[in-house]
Amino acid sequence: MQQHLQRQSGVQKAEVSLRDGTVQITPKEDGQIDPAQLLKATYDSGVTVAEMDVTAEGRVVKDPSGTLSFQVEPNRSWVITPNDQSQSLAPLAGTPSKITVTGQLYLKSGKKKADPKVPLKLLITQIQKNEQKKE
Amino acid sequence: MKINKFVLLLLLGVGLAPVSQAQIKHVEMRVEGMT
Repeated sequence: MQQHLQRQSGVQKAEVSLRDGTVQITPKEDGQIDPAQLLKATYDSGVTVAEMDVTAEGRVVKDPSGTLSFQVEPNRSWVITPNDQSQSLAPLAGTPSKITVTGQLYLKSGKKKADPKVPLKLLITQIQKNEQKKE
Repeated sequence: MKINKFVLLLLLGVGLAPVSQAQIKHVEMRVEGMT
């Protein structure tokens, strides 16, 4: 599985911990990593993904219907699942401010496998950095 | 004319540089069924 993941586009290093049952993935410096592809690659290795967390830098954008999304690349964004953390980001929507957040992109529910056709949603658990704040 | 092209390329380069950096810093997965 480690080798299979390391062969995925944008992956610099994949570390598998058998003891903890976790996989740590470090993207390349200029990596255009695709979490949905990593999810699929892990399943292809015969392992079930219970949870996927991501740390990413990006901007908060709001679509015409008012839904907040976190845009990490011009062509990649995830809809933000509303919670207390996401509410604090709402004022940043549409501004050029970049922030770094940690959040859950996937959580297995029941015995269902991840459906690659269903877009990933981001449940923000931690806001690490806000470039707008200057001390 | 050549200077204008150079300035244009320079501005494009400056504008695109942040885009080329990794936006996803780290991914962690909790997995089941690993032996």
